[in-house]
Amino acid sequence: MEDLIPLTPQLWEATYETLYIVGLSLLFGGLGGLLLGIGLYTTRSGSILGNRAVFGTLNVIVNIFRPIPFIIFLAAAQPLARAVTGTGIGNSAIIFTLSLAATFGISRIVEQNLLTVQPGVIEAARSVGAGRLRIILTILIPEALGPLILGYTFIFVALVDMSAVAGSVGGGGLGNFAIQYGYRQFNPVVTWAAVIVIVLLVQAVQLLGNVLARRVLRR
Amino acid sequence: MPLISLRNVTKSFPPGRRGDPVVHAIDNVSLDIEAGEIFGIIGYSGAGKSTLVRLINALEKATSGEIVVDGHQVTNVPDRQLRTLRLDIGMIFQQFNLFNAKTVWNNVAYPLRVAGRTRDEIQARVTELLDFVGLADKASNYPEQLSGGQKQRVGIARALATSPKILLADEATSALDPETTHEVLRLLRRVNEELGITIVVITHEMDVIQTLATKVAVMDGGRIVEQGEVFDVFSNPREASSRRFVSTVVRGIPSPDELSVLRERHTGRIVTFSFRDGDSSQASVFLELAAAGVEFELVYGGINDIRGRAFGHLTLALTGQDAVITSTLQTMAGRIAVKELA
Repeated sequence: MEDLIPLTPQLWEATYETLYIVGLSLLFGGLGGLLLGIGLYTTRSGSILGNRAVFGTLNVIVNIFRPIPFIIFLAAAQPLARAVTGTGIGNSAIIFTLSLAATFGISRIVEQNLLTVQPGVIEAARSVGAGRLRIILTILIPEALGPLILGYTFIFVALVDMSAVAGSVGGGGLGNFAIQYGYRQFNPVVTWAAVIVIVLLVQAVQLLGNVLARRVLRR
Repeated sequence: MPLISLRNVTKSFPPGRRGDPVVHAIDNVSLDIEAGEIFGIIGYSGAGKSTLVRLINALEKATSGEIVVDGHQVTNVPDRQLRTLRLDIGMIFQQFNLFNAKTVWNNVAYPLRVAGRTRDEIQARVTELLDFVGLADKASNYPEQLSGGQKQRVGIARALATSPKILLADEATSALDPETTHEVLRLLRRVNEELGITIVVITHEMDVIQTLATKVAVMDGGRIVEQGEVFDVFSNPREASSRRFVSTVVRGIPSPDELSVLRERHTGRIVTFSFRDGDSSQASVFLELAAAGVEFELVYGGINDIRGRAFGHLTLALTGQDAVITSTLQTMAGRIAVKELA
């Protein structure tokens, strides 16, 4: 326990870094996933932009990239990260790669939640003369908002999990802290301190997500 | 010129799997609907009536044929033009299809926002519509807080928001209990009479046609097998599928099964007299039978009223001298439909 006390500043620094990495990845990946998910939903045959070729292409791309284990994806996408962010290591590279991976994962969650909207509701909007973009923005997303919030909460937890490997490419965060100061120093107390902070973080965000979703769903 | 006109309209859906036959949901349908009518389209599920009504506001696109609504072509028009057309055609649905994330007020305001009305116009129009459907006190409620009948009244208010000329009702009462059904049908009648809106009603319930429609078309297998004034189709259905629908609300000529039950209980000759208004009255038939010394007993049938016009079928068991009965029936046959059941 006395080993942990001098590491307290590093623990807070790691917590901040995790929030920073996960927060920005959720922002970029969330937007990308929302767009890709809407693309998947609307191009499905019978939907408002039904187009078999576009849907097939998007579907295959998502299916190829989504199942790649993140630590492998991180290594494989390193050249791309370097091209875009100027560096292949550190927090910027991690945020870029995590956002990209999250885009594919989130797109499926968005697609699935949009599919729960009754087709009749979309038809009603079409019957009053609403255009496609208006239907997406004013009907589709508001109708699916409750489950979407829960989906994004789920993704936050997944991103915390994925961000733990950041240390392998020179990034920081709680995962890196636990391995560097706990596991490699044979100090389980330090490892467990990181675990407790992660659990508290996840609990807090899950609670927030539940409260927001409940408010949107009015139950 | 009719308000809605369909000429040789066909709608086919590609087969679900390769090798399956093409589905002809609508098969060469021609139809005219005049302004101010309440036009009923009845058929069993799968008869194509829901597809037919969606062709009118182009939610479905016809495969071939011509559709003209209020002087405008609906077939082969760009999407932007269709959206303008849809402001003139309201639609209500079996499952109501309200926007669950919006309040009653915002549901009704939505078409007005789409049409680009000002805030003041929207305020005035929504207030007026909620008053009309009797839901002014529910403006800030969400759909899940309403009963089925209230939901459909919101649906009607939303459909009427942009003051359309036409209201399409797709099985609008099929998810409602009988009492609520009548409440919604009364409201639709008011929409037609007070606002002068032409209504196209899709249903599988003959009762809805009987209480609401002025004209009716019977659909079967994607075709219209019979159409005309509701009174004519009800009092004298020509096609087998029309007869099946009419028999659900009109007790007419007994079926073979019912006839054999009647035979067990009654002696004598069993004869059905069919009355339509304008024909000779029931009283004259009874008087003539009595005068000829024929005893009669009413064994089956009923009288129906459609918008103040009566018709019905009465089946009598006649006893007396055979020759007298035959000659009496013959003298009546010129004035009234008489059918002896063998």
